[in-house]
Order: sequence, then C-alpha cells, then structure tokens
Amino acid sequence: MRRLSSLAWRNLQARLLRSVLTAAGVALGVAVLFASLSASATMDAAVSRAAADEMGHSALRVQALEERGLSRETVALVTKAAGVEVAAPALERKTYLAPSAALTPSATLPAPVTVLGIDAVAEPKLHDMPLSGGRLLTAADTLSAVITETLASGERLQIGDPITLNGAGSGPTDFSIVGIVAGDGSVPEAAGRLVMVPLSSAQALFGVTGVTRIDLSTGPGVTADELIGQLEATIKTEPYLLARTSDIADSLRAETADFRGTLLLVAAVVLFAGAFLIFNTLSMTVTERSREVGLLRAAGTTRSQVMGLVLLQAFALGAIGSAVGVVAGVGLSSLALSWVNSTGPISLDAPDISIGSVLLALLIGVLVTLAASLEPAWRAGRIPPVEAFRRGPKGAVAGAARLRWLVLVFAVLAIAALAVWPSGSPGGSGATLAAGGLTLSFGLLGPLVVYGLMLVAVLIVPVILGPLLRLAGIPFRVFRNEERLARSSLARDISRTTLTAGALVMGLAMVVALGTAAASVRQIGQRWLAETIPGSELLTSIHPISPTDPAIEEIAALPGVKSISPIALFGVPLGGVRQEAAAISGKDFAADGRLVFVPDGGDPATAFAALDAGGAVIVPKSLANQSDILLGDTLTFATGETQTKLRVVGIVAHSLPGDSQEAVLVGWTDALGPFGATGADFFAVRYQPGLESAARPEVDATASQYALESADLGSVRGTVGDALDRVFRLLDALALVAVLIAGLGLANTLSMSVLERGREIGVLRAIGMSSRQIWGMVVIEAGILGLAGALIGAVLGLLVGGLLVAWSSGGFGLTFDPPWVSIALAVSFGVLISVTASIYPAGVASRQSIVRALQHE
Amino acid sequence: MRDGTILEARNLTKRFRIGNRDVEVLRGISLKVQRGEFVAVMGPSGSGKSTLLQLLGGLDRPTSGDVILDGEIVSQLSDREATHLRREKTGFVFQFFNLIPLLDVYENVALPYTIAGVDPRHGAAAARIRDVLEMVNLVWCERNRPDQLSAGEQQRVALARALVGSPALLLADEPTGNLDYATGGEILNELWRSCDERGQTIVLVTHDARAAAHADRVLVMGDGKIRDEIQLGRRKDSGAGPLIARLAQLGL
Ligand SMILES: Nc1ncnc2c1ncn2[C@@H]1O[C@H](COP(=O)(O)OP(=O)(O)OP(=O)(O)O)[C@@H](O)[C@H]1O
Ligand SMILES: [Mg+2]
Repeated sequence: MRRLSSLAWRNLQARLLRSVLTAAGVALGVAVLFASLSASATMDAAVSRAAADEMGHSALRVQALEERGLSRETVALVTKAAGVEVAAPALERKTYLAPSAALTPSATLPAPVTVLGIDAVAEPKLHDMPLSGGRLLTAADTLSAVITETLASGERLQIGDPITLNGAGSGPTDFSIVGIVAGDGSVPEAAGRLVMVPLSSAQALFGVTGVTRIDLSTGPGVTADELIGQLEATIKTEPYLLARTSDIADSLRAETADFRGTLLLVAAVVLFAGAFLIFNTLSMTVTERSREVGLLRAAGTTRSQVMGLVLLQAFALGAIGSAVGVVAGVGLSSLALSWVNSTGPISLDAPDISIGSVLLALLIGVLVTLAASLEPAWRAGRIPPVEAFRRGPKGAVAGAARLRWLVLVFAVLAIAALAVWPSGSPGGSGATLAAGGLTLSFGLLGPLVVYGLMLVAVLIVPVILGPLLRLAGIPFRVFRNEERLARSSLARDISRTTLTAGALVMGLAMVVALGTAAASVRQIGQRWLAETIPGSELLTSIHPISPTDPAIEEIAALPGVKSISPIALFGVPLGGVRQEAAAISGKDFAADGRLVFVPDGGDPATAFAALDAGGAVIVPKSLANQSDILLGDTLTFATGETQTKLRVVGIVAHSLPGDSQEAVLVGWTDALGPFGATGADFFAVRYQPGLESAARPEVDATASQYALESADLGSVRGTVGDALDRVFRLLDALALVAVLIAGLGLANTLSMSVLERGREIGVLRAIGMSSRQIWGMVVIEAGILGLAGALIGAVLGLLVGGLLVAWSSGGFGLTFDPPWVSIALAVSFGVLISVTASIYPAGVASRQSIVRALQHE
Repeated sequence: MRDGTILEARNLTKRFRIGNRDVEVLRGISLKVQRGEFVAVMGPSGSGKSTLLQLLGGLDRPTSGDVILDGEIVSQLSDREATHLRREKTGFVFQFFNLIPLLDVYENVALPYTIAGVDPRHGAAAARIRDVLEMVNLVWCERNRPDQLSAGEQQRVALARALVGSPALLLADEPTGNLDYATGGEILNELWRSCDERGQTIVLVTHDARAAAHADRVLVMGDGKIRDEIQLGRRKDSGAGPLIARLAQLGL
C-alpha cells in the first residue's frame, strides 16, 4: 500500500456486497435523474423541432383567430405590408378521405387527413418540401394534390392516383396526385396525414373564402419585431395572432412543463432516497470501524486524512454508481419516452443523450453522494485516538448519525433541481381539461413544498418510530420471542432505523400521493363533463356541421333519443388575447338542467333564454374572478371593424373545458354571426331514461354514416383517463425505484447489523435458539421495519396527495377519495421488498457458527 | 546511556464525567522518565494505568497538569500538533486490535510511513521496515493478513510497527495481557532488547509482576496516584522474584 488513500479502496473491496449495494442505490437514483433530464431534453428538442417544422423559413406567422379565417383584404394588406418579403397564405382543415366516409354502419371512423390549401409559388419559399417523387404544385394547378410519403404509404397511393376529399360545402372532390414529399410534411398536428392542394381549390372544397394563416419572411434588414409593429399598425379590421418560432415553441413547451417538473420532482425524491443509503452505509461503516480509526489516529493520522478517507470512499461509490446510473438511465429514458409518446401532443424520437445531460447527471450524483457523506466523514474525523484502547468489539463513541445533516443533502438537491427546472412552467395552479388529457399544474411552489414535506416527515420519524414499531409488530406477534428481539434491535439505534426506513417512506409516499392525485384528477374530469354536457354521448365531427343539418334531425328522431344539442368550440378575441368560447343552445341546457350558477351569478332560466336571443354571454367563475367580471357587465370582443358587445347574463361554477381554458358560453346566433363560427363541432345526445343501451347502436350507425364519431361520456373520460393513467403510471414506476433503493438499504443495514451482533447471536444460539428462529428474527425485523415505513409513507403520501388535490381541485369540492386498493398494494409491496431484502442477511445470521461468533473479538 | 529526561508528567489529574457525576481517575501524578529507560506502570484494574498512558502519549488531554515529551508540552498541543507529535515521537502497542485487518503484515508495519505520505516500498523506509521485521522475526509472513497469524505473532507485528519510526517513546498497554506465558515472554524480551540494544525508551503498563520485572523501574499505582516506586535496575536476567518480594513487602 503506497498511499493512505488506497485504504479507502481496500475498505470498499473488503465489504464488496455492501459497496455494490450502495453503489447500486446511487445508480438507481442517478438513472431516474438521468432519465428525467434526458426525457425533458428530448421533449424540449422535439418541441423546438416541431416549432421549426411548423414555421419553416418564415419569421412570423399571422394566425386567424376566428374560424372563418382571414379575409382576402387582410391577406392583401399583409402581403403588401412594408418589410414583408414573401407571404404564404394557407387554409388548414381536417376531413376524411372518400369513399371511406361512406362506412358500413357501426364501423369505426378512419383517421382523418389534414388538407392544406397553399399558394403554390410562395409556400415552397418558406417551407422545405423535399420531393420523393413527382413535382410540386404550380400556379397553374387546380385539382392537383401533393401528399406526404407517410400518407402515401399508409393509404397505398401513388403519383397519378386520384385522391377524393370530402368537403364541407360541396360534395367529395377528386384531386390528382402529382407529387409526394418526403416524411411527415410541415404540419405537426397532421401526424403525417397531410394533403396539399392549391389554396383556391381548398377554399372551394370547404366553402370558405378566408385563410387560416399567413407565413411571412422579412426583407433584408427587417427584424421580426419591426414587422410585428408594422402589421399591428396596418391590420385593424380582423382579429389575429402573431407568432414567432420561439412563441410557438414556448406555448408547446408550456404544455409539457408540468409533466417535466413532476418528473424532476420524482427524480429528486428518488435521488434523495439514494442519499439516505449513502448516509446510512457510511455512518454504519464509520461506527463499525471506529477502533480502526482510533488506531490510525494513534499512529499519527490527522483528522483531515481520516475525513479524506471517508470522502474518498463516498466519491468512489458516487462516481461508480453515477456512471452505471447514466448507462441505466439511457435505457430507462427510452422506455419512459416510448411509454409517454402516445399521449403527448408532440412526437418524440430517441432520447437526447447529450454530453451536457450526462455530465450534469454525473455531477449531481457525485455531489449528492458527497453531501450525504460529509456527516459520517466529519464524525470519523472526530473519533479520538483513545478509541484504540477499547476492549469491546465496537465503540459507541462514533455516536449516532445526526439526521439534521440531511438538510444539507436536501438543499444540494433542491438547488440542483432549481437549476434544471423546466422553463415555461405556468406560475399559476389549477386543472385544465386539455384536448390530450387532463393536466395537473402546480407551478414551482408545489413541488418544492412536496419535496420539503418529505424531509420534514423523515425528520419526525424518530419521534414516532417507537410506538409505530410496536404497532407494526402486531402482525408478527405469533412469533413472540423473535418479534420482541427484532423490535428491540430496531429500537436500539433509532437514527439508523430511521435512515433505513426513510427511503421506503419517501418512495411509498410518492406512489401514494401520485395515486391519490391521479384518482382525484380523474374524478374532476368526470364531474366536470357531467356538470357541463347535456348528454351521455358525444357525436364529434372533424369539421363544423350546421346545427340544423338534416343528419341531426334524423338522429333526433330516432327512438329512445330524448334530445340532441349542438356545441361548437372556437376562439374569440377578448382583451387582446384569444379566449376560448363555446356556442350552446340555451334551451337544451335549460331543459337538461346543466351548469351550476354561482350565488349572484344570475338566474338560469333567464340566462339561457337571453343566450338564445343573442347579445348575451355566460362566463365561468374562474374568468369572472380573474378579470373582475360581474353579472350585467358588458364584454367587448374585437371582432373585426365592428366590435361585438355581449352582456354577462350568468356566472357559472364551471363551464365547458376548452383546449387550455374554460370557454365563455354564447348563443348560436352570435356564434354564427359576428364570431364567424361555421357549425357545431360536436353534439351531445341525451337518451330517454333506461333506453340508452337499446337506442345506442342505431344512433351510432346513423352517426357514422354522416362521418360523426360517437363516444359516450364515459369513454371521453376513458381516453382522458387513459392518457393520464399512463403518465401517472410512469411516475409511479419511477417512484417505485425509491422503494427498490430502500430494499438495497435494508439489505445493507441488516447485513451489517447481523455482523455487529455476531456475539449476541452466538449467545442466543448457545442458550438454545434454533437457526430457524434466528432466521425468523432477522426476517421479522425487516418485516416490522417495512411495515412501519410503509405506514408512515402511506400517511405522508395521503397528505401530499391531499395537498396536490387541494391545489388543483378547481373548486369541485372533491371528496377526498384515495385509491385504497392501490395504497394497500403499495404498502404490501414495501413490506415485500423489505422482507426480500432480509433473506440474504437472515441466511448469514442463521448459518453463523456459534463457536466463531463467541470467540469473535 | 542516561542522558536526560525525555518524558515528564507534572501533577496530572484527569476527571471523567459519568452521567451527572465527576469521577477523578488520576489525582495528581508526577513522574520523570530518562532517555533509554524502561519503566513499568503497575496497579490494580481501574487504577487509571491506561488513562495515564493515554495522557503521556498525547492521545487525550489531562484535566490539569502537564506532560512534557522531548521538550514539548504535549498536554497543550492542538489536535493537529498532537497528531504530528504522535507520528514522529511515539509508538503504541495495545492489548487488543493493534492491526488493520485489511492490510497485510508488511503494510501494517509500514503504516506510519504511509500516513506520513512516504512510499514504504523503496529506499530507507523499505530498509527500515525490513530491519524491524527481522528483529521481531516476521519476515516469513510479511504477506499474511493479521487473521492468519497467532495472537503472539500479531503482537509482534504491532511491536514492529511501533518501533519502525524509531520513536522517542514507546508506550505499551498490556501488550501481553492476551497471550500465554511463553508467548508473552517473547514479546517482553523483544521490548527489553530494543531498550537494551537500541536505547529505546519504553513505558509499559501491566498488572502482571512478571511482565513488570523486565523494567528498570516499576511505578505502582493505586487510587489515581503513584503509591510507590521500585528501582530494579537494568539486568540481563528478568526473574520476577525480587520484584514480587518488594511488592509483598509493600503489602500489594
Ligand atoms: N472515557 C472514559 N469515560 C469515563 N470513564 C472512564 C473513561 N476511561 C476510563 N474511565 C474510567 O477510569 C477508570 C480508570 O480506567 P483505566 O482504563 O485507566 O484503568 P486501568 O488501570 O487501565 O484498568 P485495567 O487494568 O482494567 O485496564 C475506570 O474506572 C474507568 O471506568
Ligand atoms: Mg487498562
């Protein structure tokens, strides 16, 4: 041994199992951290890519706010605006390919396609269209189409084939495919099913004269900001939104920020659990070796050399663990991404494995390990040289671990988490029922509070552990002696027991909290839909249908149908921003008794009548509170030259959920008139009581003939719930890693304590305990500890879950309804892991030879 | 041979707090040890022998009084200074657990060099290690780990390690307490030879008169004080007869 530092290595090697378990704990923590960082980075990259795809080479997008789009006059004004180099107007609509729309009854509808009407000359200048065959559109084309490779292969289409598109105004129209562009095309939402046709043909097909957007590039020396100023001064007649690539990326990013934040929170908790393992293992090692340290000190080793030895061991464990963790994290993150992929608004590729995130994960892993080892190192340095004089096999001088040092570890992790916290996280809180699924949003404060609660909980564990151990021992009372002995050995060093149980507590708390939150969010969704939708089934159309369409009358006349009510969702300009609005039929809502009016929020009958008469609006309480809107106020909507003024006739507790906010409710006359809606997006169907199951098949069959997709409220909940479940299940799986770490910690602690108690076990054997009983004693010790930890974890989890729910309940006055079955499962899992972890140490203890144990010095 | 005092204790006291009660273990001990002298400290169990040894070696601080080792006031050093003093001037042998179980014999003996940051495998250090290993007759097992050695061999390793740095003072606390008579005798003979041949100053704590009989002078402790002092002088024959006779005379 040339250098003293080699002693650190020798120590690690001498207790190989312990070192491996500890490094594995670090590895698991870092794996989850890396997976979360890399998933986050991947989402970020995908968002930027989606935004870049969407915008191409354009500097700015002018987006129509209303459904009828931007008029010819506006397009002309924008095109001629100073500073504009190229202006590419386009109309985007969804439709079905004919003849697939003429479906056999009860068949499910195929995936729709997105039709993009483009300016054949301007569009290619702003958006890359790499051809994989044929040619691009020219100004001379009329009924020609360019489709994406993805659509071509999906529908087995070739150049020269006709493609039949269902229109809105006119009937199905045949286009001839002249070109195929590589890949998915430039509209991310189309998911590759994109058909590009000349703008005028698209307008004719859908019976509109406007465009959805105009993409612009700026002339030399003109910045996007200058152009924004220019346009704002020029176009005043119609409502529109201006967006740069970065704006689009930001809004997409905000959609994923909460998910990424939660992922990070889980990673922090898991890593914190890993830090417990380090802290505990090194603490025990120091205690175990205190005589050795005393000897070294007596021979002239300085305090800092002793501390250095401990820190060096920690560094080695941390570095090896982190490196393994990063490798495991790569696998974990691709698993996680493929699991989430189907739910997110953007599609994700392989995980982002940048040098940056690798280094960051390594750095955080090592830093956390070092932070966790500072206290044991410091304590080792304080071991006095006289410790070498002790005769007993181990000294108590090294003392118990000081739990308050965990605050340091906690702080290191919190700072690391803040440094990588996803940008674009909305500051507010509340639940929104987004198109893709319900999202929980807590801002930054929430996760910090949750995280802090974990620490506080672990710090109070020592106080409640005594009685809790007794409680947790009850199920094991059948083995009276073993239970007593096991419990007393747990109570011997409370801080060690706390640290061992700590990881379990946090992991299970996280699982239970997420489960509770998920159940509540699902419940919110159910209540929300039930409160605001006048029906038990929704018939959805991909493009607006007139509320008086013959199809609707036909369905309304079917036996068993009580009512069918048209609903449209669209955007309206209010106070300079886009506000989501819904057109509803007041009469139907009144008859069905939907919506809950707040006190002083108006009289339902009057309000619904006013809505149908026109000039009236019902606002959700959230908006009323936020913008100080009172009953009787007038809201002014900037609809073109003539503003639309609507009187507030009602304030409701909850309104229809839009894409990102609750909609304001207007009557159909205003929607079709000044707001430019062209028809209903879905119809709510209410059946006669008891006739639903009998009447459903015919309704669905008729609906699908008219290209209406049917879904009952339950299955809307279902899709919402499914997406949510996947996300929560992922988070759960990650949180369970903390439970696994707890298992490693337990195996570690028990192995050490069995060694430490060698003499004691020898005495027990000598006075007649069988090796089976010794085995049972160790396993019961783990069982009691596991049960106690799991119980604390469950209670803490319910508390945290309750907080999450309270933050996001959106005023539904949720009954606290935790998923007891899953909680029971989680608790059992915790106990199972503990008991499993104890099998090896129990074996070691029971096989120990009595003679050796007794002569053991 | 006796050229001055190397170790001096002046009116040492040591109190321990046990619970809420102070226990005075040493109550004013003064002594002088000459360079090259072999001094044994005897006394019944609990009389404070080990405590005294800890104070003399700078492992602990007295409650009051001073320890002066080779001109330095040990009892007033900072932890850092005391550590360096131990590294350079003292060597210890304890009754139990003298060796780091992870290190082999050679590495255990080399430990003082390793701690000081000197590569013990080359140069003067290697020569010195070999020298002490030869002296205690352990060259044959230098690659063995402590648990592969007998208790006597382990103690000889500990002695070699204590001697390897040529300390000004060797402190031994019951180094033979764990050993049978013959094996213990070997260790004591090694100690005596290092004193006689190399002029090593030794303070040996023991409750065994046969062990103490190897010393030049025996201090008898009782009740936290030095009760008596017995001059035996340097003798080739370490028979315990005269000492036992004196002790009996003193009624011990
Ligand atoms: N760190 C300590 N804290 C409290 N009391 C102590 C401490 N060290 C020693 N003592 C007490 O001081 C007294 C003297 O102990 P010491 O070990 O010096 O005796 P000893 O003479 O070496 O005994 P033995 O022959 O059994 O080794 C004992 O009563 C012991 O309990
Ligand atoms: Mg003693």
